[in-house]
Amino acid sequence: MADLRINLAGIKSPNPFWLASAPPTNSGYQVQRAFEAGWGGAVWKTLGDPILNTSSRFAAISFNGQRVAGFNNIELITDRPLDVNLKEIYETKKKFPNHAIVASLMVEPKQEKWHEIVKRVEDVGVDGLELNFGCPHGMAERGMGSASGQVPALVEKQTLWVKEVAKTPVIVKLTPNITDITATAEAACNGGADAISMINTINSLMGVDLDTWNTIPHVAGKGAHGGYCGPAVKPIALNMVAECARHSQINVPISGIGGISNWRDAVEFMLMGATGVQICTAAMHHGFRIVEDMIEGLNHYLDGKGIAAVSDIIGKSVPKYSDWGNLDLNYNIVAKINTDVCINCNKCYIACEDTSHQCIEMLSDASGKNYLRVWEEDCVGCNLCAIVCPVDGAIEMIEVPNEMPPMTWNERQAVINAVITSKVDTTK
Amino acid sequence: MTEHQQFLAERDKIDFFIQKGFRIQSVNEHLDGATVEFVHPNGDVTEVLLISNANARKYFSSLLIKQNPIGK
Repeated sequence: MADLRINLAGIKSPNPFWLASAPPTNSGYQVQRAFEAGWGGAVWKTLGDPILNTSSRFAAISFNGQRVAGFNNIELITDRPLDVNLKEIYETKKKFPNHAIVASLMVEPKQEKWHEIVKRVEDVGVDGLELNFGCPHGMAERGMGSASGQVPALVEKQTLWVKEVAKTPVIVKLTPNITDITATAEAACNGGADAISMINTINSLMGVDLDTWNTIPHVAGKGAHGGYCGPAVKPIALNMVAECARHSQINVPISGIGGISNWRDAVEFMLMGATGVQICTAAMHHGFRIVEDMIEGLNHYLDGKGIAAVSDIIGKSVPKYSDWGNLDLNYNIVAKINTDVCINCNKCYIACEDTSHQCIEMLSDASGKNYLRVWEEDCVGCNLCAIVCPVDGAIEMIEVPNEMPPMTWNERQAVINAVITSKVDTTK
Repeated sequence: MTEHQQFLAERDKIDFFIQKGFRIQSVNEHLDGATVEFVHPNGDVTEVLLISNANARKYFSSLLIKQNPIGK
């Protein structure tokens, strides 16, 4: 059994699976049940001035039979008084001293407001704080959440105010509703953040009812944008984690969030630089006990690879992530159709002929049986045929040796620019 | 003509000059591809090719890097 413990900026937990700040961490009852199920940590549903919620709060997209491919909510932060939450945090920490309890916080961007809540929350023994600069709906209209998180100067200033009084590690949770998340991540670091977490939810409108013309969800016939999460956002979140992980000025641990639904997703986030992960939608879809599969799967994966501790995989894929300009233009792959496995559905042929590079041909053998063939010389290795193929193993993408040495766009432009500006010495 | 045949045709034109000892003197990239100027080492003969195929543009670029490994 591998060692699954993590230490995120001094916050220790028995495994990397934390519940994210959201409905599953609304109360002591829920967090204690989650810990009993095996979750290593929980970020308590955001504390602040208790709010008022609407009825009808969630919506989900099911896609081709997959329920909850994407999930949306218009629920705000806690609607319970702070002292009620603090009492339950204290009791939960007492029962589960080795599990991580992090308090998510959101107040108006005023120094005294931050000082007050930090002191009150730390008094009950939380292991850390997470500043919610990401919630995109409702609270943002009041200048909090993503309204703060979209302005690097506000992120830095509020982080500084928290750090003036905080005794526990401070995680800054970032909004994805911004062009370049590294700008706000860097601002958090400049403010003294001990760690960053990402992503919060993405601005979304889930749909419009074709009969009533109401938004989905709607509240008495009116809708407002919500926050999108779930499996559909994972690639967006993973990129943002990776961009921060490889950024030279962002040197704090990362807590990865966004569509993580199983141990495989968790491993991907950790390979791309996350020290641990936070999960919400998968727990809301399947219940707390999904963490059992996550722990078991992660253990098997690490044992199978001979890795003693999960912390050993953190960031191992980060050096493999770069800018497009550093990719090798002379690297070639082509599609190879395995005619023994192919069912001749022609999906690949149609995809290639209509929307790609017209390099798959339908032929007939001597017995009149149809088969598909790739013209490798014209195949650009786009992967589309393999993506649309419904049969595993029917199409492989294989590497083709190139007689030319590796050449990136950046290298190419450097030499061409040198030629343009100074003319290459032709006598060499 | 397929993309690959176009590549072979343009690569052959590039190779023709390279095999005769020409070197790439300048590259001008524009909307129609790249205009590549070749010059013979004795300096008195220059030739110009319009290279439009994407793989052919990779090809002459690789030759240019091989010829002058700037930035490597």
